[in-house]
Amino acid sequence: MDFKLTEEQELIRANMREFAQTYVDPIAAEIDENSRFPAEVIKKLGEGGWMGMPFSPEYGGQGVDYVTYAIAVEELSRSCAATGFTMSVHTGLACNPIALFGNEEQKKKYLTPLAKGEHLGAFALTEPGAGTDVGGATSTAVLDGDEYVLNGVKTFTSNGPVADTYVTFAWTNPEDKRKGMSCFIVPKGTPGLSVGDHFMKMGIRASQTSEIIFKDCRIPKENLVGKPGDGLKIAMSCLDHGRIGIAAQAVGIAQAALDEALAYSKQRIQFGKPISRNQAIQWMLADMQTDITAGRFMYYYAAYLKDQGLPFSKEASMAKLFCSEMCFKHASKAVQIFGGYGYCKGQKVERLLRDAKITEIYEGTSEAQRMTIAGSLLR
Amino acid sequence: MLEIICCFKWVVDEAYLKPDSVGKIDLEMAEYKISNYDRNAIEEAVRLKEQYGGNVTAITVAAPDATKGIKNALSRGPDKAYFINGEGFDHLEPAQYAIILEEVIAKEIPYDLIICGEGSSDLYAQQVGPRLAERLGIPFIGSVQKVQIENKQITVERKTDEGVEVLTAPLPVLIAVVPDINIPRVPGVRDTLAASKKPVIEIAAGDLGKDYAPCLLQEELKVSTMERKCTYFGSEQEDIKAFVEALRKTGLLDGR
Amino acid sequence: MKKVWIYADIIDAGLELITIGKQLADQLGGTLTAILAGDEKTAQDFINCGADEVLLLPELEPTQPIQDYVPVIVEAAQTTPPEIFLISASLTGKEMAARIAAQLNTGLCSDCQNLVLDEQGLLHMDRLVYGGAWIQTLKCLSKPQMATIPLHRYEKASSETTRQGKITRLENAKPSGIKIVEKRKRDQSQVNIKDARVIVCAGRGLENEKDLDMIRELAKLLKGEVACTRPLSEEKHWLPDETCIGLSAQEVKPDIYIGIGISGQIQHMVGVRDAGIICAINSDEKAPIFQAADFGIQGDLYKVVPMLIEELKR
Repeated sequence: MDFKLTEEQELIRANMREFAQTYVDPIAAEIDENSRFPAEVIKKLGEGGWMGMPFSPEYGGQGVDYVTYAIAVEELSRSCAATGFTMSVHTGLACNPIALFGNEEQKKKYLTPLAKGEHLGAFALTEPGAGTDVGGATSTAVLDGDEYVLNGVKTFTSNGPVADTYVTFAWTNPEDKRKGMSCFIVPKGTPGLSVGDHFMKMGIRASQTSEIIFKDCRIPKENLVGKPGDGLKIAMSCLDHGRIGIAAQAVGIAQAALDEALAYSKQRIQFGKPISRNQAIQWMLADMQTDITAGRFMYYYAAYLKDQGLPFSKEASMAKLFCSEMCFKHASKAVQIFGGYGYCKGQKVERLLRDAKITEIYEGTSEAQRMTIAGSLLR
Repeated sequence: MLEIICCFKWVVDEAYLKPDSVGKIDLEMAEYKISNYDRNAIEEAVRLKEQYGGNVTAITVAAPDATKGIKNALSRGPDKAYFINGEGFDHLEPAQYAIILEEVIAKEIPYDLIICGEGSSDLYAQQVGPRLAERLGIPFIGSVQKVQIENKQITVERKTDEGVEVLTAPLPVLIAVVPDINIPRVPGVRDTLAASKKPVIEIAAGDLGKDYAPCLLQEELKVSTMERKCTYFGSEQEDIKAFVEALRKTGLLDGR
Repeated sequence: MKKVWIYADIIDAGLELITIGKQLADQLGGTLTAILAGDEKTAQDFINCGADEVLLLPELEPTQPIQDYVPVIVEAAQTTPPEIFLISASLTGKEMAARIAAQLNTGLCSDCQNLVLDEQGLLHMDRLVYGGAWIQTLKCLSKPQMATIPLHRYEKASSETTRQGKITRLENAKPSGIKIVEKRKRDQSQVNIKDARVIVCAGRGLENEKDLDMIRELAKLLKGEVACTRPLSEEKHWLPDETCIGLSAQEVKPDIYIGIGISGQIQHMVGVRDAGIICAINSDEKAPIFQAADFGIQGDLYKVVPMLIEELKR
């Protein structure tokens, strides 16, 4: 077992860090405050090849392994969870259905611009009545001649208002709960596709989230990904991939929390000495460092298994579960270390805590992760 | 077609340095980086190559484990790198760096232009550039903020204590650049991956012929903390006078 | 006869070097030689102020940069090698010193903050490293021991009486091939606090917006910029956000920072931790800013600032 990162992985981390420090750090607070999508930074990420890292160069990607890609997500999230998440959801959730299950034409036509960062992707699975209960969806796709007609409402779609390509899921056979859902590619501008309400969120505010409404939306039948009925399988597989990204994002947020808390504790003087000399604070910092290290190796492992072509679903779930819960816990501790200042706008830790919460919810709530993990234990 | 050499140093990121329990410098948690202004030097070299055509060779003198630094430099655009390494080569004094660089450059690397940063972010002695030029017997121009080349003639704008000077000189020349000169590109994934495939020529300490014994010796390194030693003044007339005197004495009032 | 040499491209800086140069020469039991570009009168001034000998650099062609003096200085130093050679740490001086040191195969301590001569005639020289957080003490194993000295580190030497000294004209500043095409003086109008060498920073201690007038006047006298802590920009909107210094605002590295009516909370002080000299004016002797300051004036800012302005106008 070689636990060391390769020099190339270290360089990817270093250069992603440099990108984040140069382009993201200066605007992170502002885009959070204004819920503004940092289109100019996403464009630069695209130009730098950061938006399609794990995909084959044949389809515009960089061909790096998943561990390397996840490291980049962590490092970007360390500066801004919203920007890191945008990269992760685009790569892990929106691109993967096409990359893993799409045919040659779909990869050429849709994956390539997505991987190059020329287009932004969105993954529209969740519905108002179907969160953890994916099967509770009501969207339908009816084959009519050479077209599928989509009807339904998707919600909490990240990148919803700004995406160029949507990957969505709808019942082609509502009777078959296991193999009745299918996956479709819907380009922006398709008549019948509209962006609904925007959500103003507690955290990752720069990430744009909205409803996506399909009303008699007609798409060519070539836009079906895989076979009819593959939808659930595709969704679950992509969520496994996406979870690695979220775990990495959570570690990035936690690392940022530790960075902030460590620096502050060394300089804040109370009772004539820095608060870092107090054991209570030291223990909080120790716990942060421990959990961050543990979380990091968990997502490395899940990514490593995926790279080896081995099953990684359980490991991805565990990583996501652990990293998200520790991230929120430690972001809260970081605010605690900052005291009153940590509760105020303008401090990074205030934003980190608000950003951290969502990691326990999206791409499978902690409860859903526990169901998956328990399920695999008790099979 | 220009042959350009850019020099860079792999340094401790000063943000990570802290004293240990006895006040000595603790390098254990230290992270390393390419010295800030050297990134500008590399960027300028690559830009000039993109503008005028040619080759860029990055060169560094470093400890044997600085391989990450070489890759980092190569991910920024140079075509190849010279890695002169030896134990303790990360803690030499400027005169030594200049001697070693001169030996290798003069023997192995053709050049029209050599670009250095105006000073390294660790020691900031600002000596390697001018010393190297002197040893190579080529003109040196420092504090450069703009470069143009035409017909093997270089025209630069450089900062002076009064303002700006525009100078010309025939190549070859060594210039030291200020950070204002450009904004270094952030290497994308492709450039980062490409770095591993570019040639690295390694030269070990044992291969060097010249004597590079140091002229300067460090006797002590002590921390200069944020907890500054405060000299107190009262608020009477004579106290204010004394304060202004003390301020003038620091040499930082410049012109007062 | 041990010689201490000094060189400065700016006359005033040269006079400052005389102060330390003479002191070192006396300690060594030797003489002080000043190299300078100038006329006989300036040379005599230098002698009156303490130099025992002046070497006058030859005139340059109008297109020759001042750095063309390097070979002339090197040749002179090789002819009569000095023990110690101090050069002013102006931009020009630092460059020239390094080149001269290279030719003389000797060590150079750049931006020497403090130097002490021991009984063996060796200099122990301090300089700041690692972003100003550490102090390195160096000694030079070769001769001449060289250092560049920051401007205004020492007082300008003054002349009481006329002294005797030798004035020699040096020759041959051969063109290096570098030609000056144009010279432009600095434009003073566009400065933001990030570039400011001097920053006068106002804090909560100021009661009214009008009080900023005297802050501005102080800043102007010091050729500096006005900055503030968070409350003044974010809450009171007395000053724009770009002038706010602190953890989540601007971080600045002025040579001089003066915090007025600022308690010195970490969020703000972190923004100026790399300042050269930190000064504080605060009526509360327990204010944390005094822990992080080099100079602290304990007093009422409404009394102190006007007095400071008066004193500086002198």
